[in-house]
Amino acid sequence: MNEIGGAPLFFLEFGDIVIYFTPFTLTLFLLALVFSVFVLVSRPERQIDIAFGGDAYYAKEISLSELRFRRFMSIACGLACMGAMVTGDVFDFTLFVSLVGICNVGIVAAVRSRHVQNAAYQYGLVALAGTVPMFAAAAMVAATTGTLSMLELAKGTATVPVAARALLVLGVMGEGMAPFYAAKAEMFRAPGAPYVIMCSLSSLLIFLRVAEVILLI
Amino acid sequence: MIIQKISRILSNFDNILPVFAAACAAMSLLVILTLPLPYSGDQLYPKQIVPGSSLNPYDRGGPPFTQAVIHSQYPGNSPTAGYVTAYLTPLSLFISEHTLYMGTTIVAHPGGILDEILYNTRGLDTVVEPTILFVAFAVAAYLFRKREA
Amino acid sequence: MWNEYSIGLAAAFACALVAFLALVWERDDLHKLLLVDLVETAALAVIALIGTDLSEALILPGLVVGIAELLALSQIYLVKEGYQQHRVKGLNIEVIMRSPATVIIATILAVYGIILSGFTGGAIAGLGIVFLLMSRSFSGDFHVLEMASGISWALWVAAFFVFMFAPEWWYLALMGAAIGILMKVITKMSLVGAMWGDQE
Repeated sequence: MNEIGGAPLFFLEFGDIVIYFTPFTLTLFLLALVFSVFVLVSRPERQIDIAFGGDAYYAKEISLSELRFRRFMSIACGLACMGAMVTGDVFDFTLFVSLVGICNVGIVAAVRSRHVQNAAYQYGLVALAGTVPMFAAAAMVAATTGTLSMLELAKGTATVPVAARALLVLGVMGEGMAPFYAAKAEMFRAPGAPYVIMCSLSSLLIFLRVAEVILLI
Repeated sequence: MIIQKISRILSNFDNILPVFAAACAAMSLLVILTLPLPYSGDQLYPKQIVPGSSLNPYDRGGPPFTQAVIHSQYPGNSPTAGYVTAYLTPLSLFISEHTLYMGTTIVAHPGGILDEILYNTRGLDTVVEPTILFVAFAVAAYLFRKREA
Repeated sequence: MWNEYSIGLAAAFACALVAFLALVWERDDLHKLLLVDLVETAALAVIALIGTDLSEALILPGLVVGIAELLALSQIYLVKEGYQQHRVKGLNIEVIMRSPATVIIATILAVYGIILSGFTGGAIAGLGIVFLLMSRSFSGDFHVLEMASGISWALWVAAFFVFMFAPEWWYLALMGAAIGILMKVITKMSLVGAMWGDQE
């Protein structure tokens, strides 16, 4: 077997879908886990506006419902990342990446501002369009090789067409475009900032993982 | 100079979707150019049509509570794969014994090959899928309430 | 070696190409959403081209992802465009609003859906409830529905774990999953139907 991420340490079998931990995927999994815990315990940042030329300043309050919602979305995003890091099935991987995409839409869309909502909408469209090449790639892998399991594909008995690999990368790029929108909408300094970090982290992680998948299959 | 121009286009996030769509269109063209692709003869869960069966497009064998033979990826991981395939609810068993139209509605009943794949052998897919729906619904419900407030 | 599969792929990707090109030139936000939804169909076609039972089982998650994101994006669109007032007063037809017929039809649909069970059953039962909500101006508490949705999700995950770790209890797991999906589809459809209606 072609071992890009190191020798598998152990397997977790869920029927046809086998989750496997190699040193590479385990590292990414732990990273996602640690950041999910950080999100769980952190408090939202309160943006401070200082009135120029005086001592006055205002702190923007975050309502409890917004805090809860964004924390929920960030944790869901962390869980989706963990799944995407360790899954050993091509179609399951695309589903986890779609879940990361929709969670990122949720994190961005929670901000009560027209400009940010517009960014969330445009990103959501890209994420939705990105599922098309991803699902097409998974379906082409299944049809041309007769299997979806990465462990089977890694044995190298069947060749995955280059087109399917390219489609997979393109789809993941579409899903992982969230930080761009978050940065454009100036959300890193917007109220409730720490949760936005999850956007960046999740897209970084899914890019790292898709590189491994492409090299493995 | 050209980098400046590109970055100016990309800096407006309204332009990202057209750029991404253009990339997808180019990729679709590329896929068409790399055709034909081989079709693997050894597929998982192959389709078979048993003429004359009342469960026709989905007849995968067996009376209920026997184990049908299905071609899954790792048969060792799901030792009971095949029981769900053969299962029919009492109502659907009745319909299948008296009419020839059960096959078209078998998807609606518990039991059958699709339930076997969706719940058992590829169950994790189906766990992720309602989670996606759940998250999307949470986003929609949150925005809906906020809009009302 | 132009086999049937390659011909099908050529057709599907030609459709995707046309739809993506349309997306390049489209400027209206709502039309973009509709076009993206159209492109999803091409992805479903590519999945369907596998042509096995597996492809049918993969289409369902593919379809659900598209529907789910469409639901979230349409709400974001409404917020973004600032559509506050939506004066839809249900189906404003006197016969439907007053007579008990709607309740009877909704009950029949719900009972029939529960007998069918599974995904289609959930859709039929949900349709009955949507019809009821549309005909009466419903002003109730959605928390019950949302809680039912959460419980059905948990039931489904529990059924999954039974399948994986206690496969000899497959019958229990099958029924759990079937009831879970039935409840899930009913509650989701009812909530969507309620969102459509007017909120004072």
